[in-house]
Amino acid sequence: MTRQLYIASTTAFWLVVFGLGMTSALWNPVEQGDAQAQEKAITLAELAKHAAPGNCWMAIRGSVYDLSAYLPTHPSPPDIVLPWCGKEATEAYNTKTKGRPHTAYADELLQKYRIGILAKAP
Amino acid sequence: MYRLRTLSLPTLLLFFVGMPVFWAFPEALPFWRALGIMLGWAGAGLLLFSLLLMVREVELASRLGGLERITAWHHQTGMAAYLLLLLHPLALAAAGWAESPELAWQVISPFSENWPVWLGWAGLIFLMLGLATTFMHRLAYSTWRWLHSLLGLGVLIGFIHVLQLGIGAGGLLALASAVLILLWRLLRVDLGTAAKPYIVTSVRSVAQSMVEVALKPLAMPVDAEPGQFVLTAFFRGPNYRGCGEFHPFTISGFGPEHELRIGVKALGDCTRRMQHLEPGVSARVHGPFGEFLKALPARPLLWVAGGIGITPFIGFLRQQPVDTPTTLIYFYRDDRDAAYLDELTLLSANRPGLVLQAEATGAGVPNLDRSLPGAEALANHECYVCGPPGLIDAVSRALLERSVPIERIHFEHFDFR
Repeated sequence: MTRQLYIASTTAFWLVVFGLGMTSALWNPVEQGDAQAQEKAITLAELAKHAAPGNCWMAIRGSVYDLSAYLPTHPSPPDIVLPWCGKEATEAYNTKTKGRPHTAYADELLQKYRIGILAKAP
Repeated sequence: MYRLRTLSLPTLLLFFVGMPVFWAFPEALPFWRALGIMLGWAGAGLLLFSLLLMVREVELASRLGGLERITAWHHQTGMAAYLLLLLHPLALAAAGWAESPELAWQVISPFSENWPVWLGWAGLIFLMLGLATTFMHRLAYSTWRWLHSLLGLGVLIGFIHVLQLGIGAGGLLALASAVLILLWRLLRVDLGTAAKPYIVTSVRSVAQSMVEVALKPLAMPVDAEPGQFVLTAFFRGPNYRGCGEFHPFTISGFGPEHELRIGVKALGDCTRRMQHLEPGVSARVHGPFGEFLKALPARPLLWVAGGIGITPFIGFLRQQPVDTPTTLIYFYRDDRDAAYLDELTLLSANRPGLVLQAEATGAGVPNLDRSLPGAEALANHECYVCGPPGLIDAVSRALLERSVPIERIHFEHFDFR
């Protein structure tokens, strides 16, 4: 009985994993156009106005993200992330615990919160 | 006391699963992500609980309802942990699915150059391999045991995966607990520090491929009762070299100066070698364990034994009389396999209340319809069955068909793989 359960669950697991891998490889999302060109340019001064836990913007790798809604679910303790609200946080993002960058998963997730690009300093 | 022992394992289980789930319960997370995290922690708690059940301490085993029950729970909770941990990455992937299949795959992809994910996969694959070997009963015990330890490695890697995710306090506590339990098991059980030193004093053949070994303690004896069993390993003697593995053997009798006698049937490589045991061989004895024949109720008894399953009954009868009418049905293949039959015949002739029904079955299975008493004759009986798993299952089914309540059917498999 337990043996059958093991075989059935393990087979189902690998089928789902391979299915997901294949779907991801074949996934071809509709082009979203040149949205970036139309995006708002946000200055460092404007960025700095959003430095509170409930109103937290960060600039990472040239883009600006509104992370207010995401922060409560971030795995790290708040005192690690909150100081970067309202700031250019690329270095912190690239060197989280023990100097490692965030994962590709985090990069994907970050795109959900993108609100514009960081305006170049005059 | 009985109720406490019955509730002990469910209570511990609730603690081991409830504590991490309560501690890590996420608030305001999307459903699938929260579910994925909860599955991971519930699986981790179950794994720790399952590990704890590998620890074989005499007092603890007795309080938790006996080694047989503990081993069954170890198997079931280990399997449940495995199922939850299979679902853990899938639920996390499902959280990303709403965004895009690519994001879902990124969460669990082993190609994502991400240590936490790699460690998660490594832990899961070790659990998968370790569990696969658990079901390979044809493997030699020594090989099986080493392959089974892959599960322990999988647990440790899984908790390092938690640490790598940045969950410091929970990960450290889980990892430290797992290391402590595994070390406890290794030192106390596998390396035998919980066992007591004994020496073989005599060996006599009692049936084909079965010997009765008498052992004398070299220090403190184990405090055993009839019907219980001990885990025993044999080492070196004048002309004998044992395999040093601990195997369960039922106590067949007691002698002067705390002498202990056990029945050893050749069932595998190691026990086959034990057929050539000789006086002077050093041994270590861990125990006693087992609840079989303990606290017999004051009602008529039916004892059913198959082959080497006769050992706890002969151990009991050698030690004490029966207080209530007792029928002992003894199935064996042929006369060469009928261990202790002459002694049992003599005992039944001299013990009022004891009826022996000895049956040679040949290579086939016993005809239980003919051999077991009918439903009326079994009314108010307490039934004890010991023998190969197939016989235990068949007799239990037959007794249930004869309206014997399940709580009045007792058996022990003596299989602790």
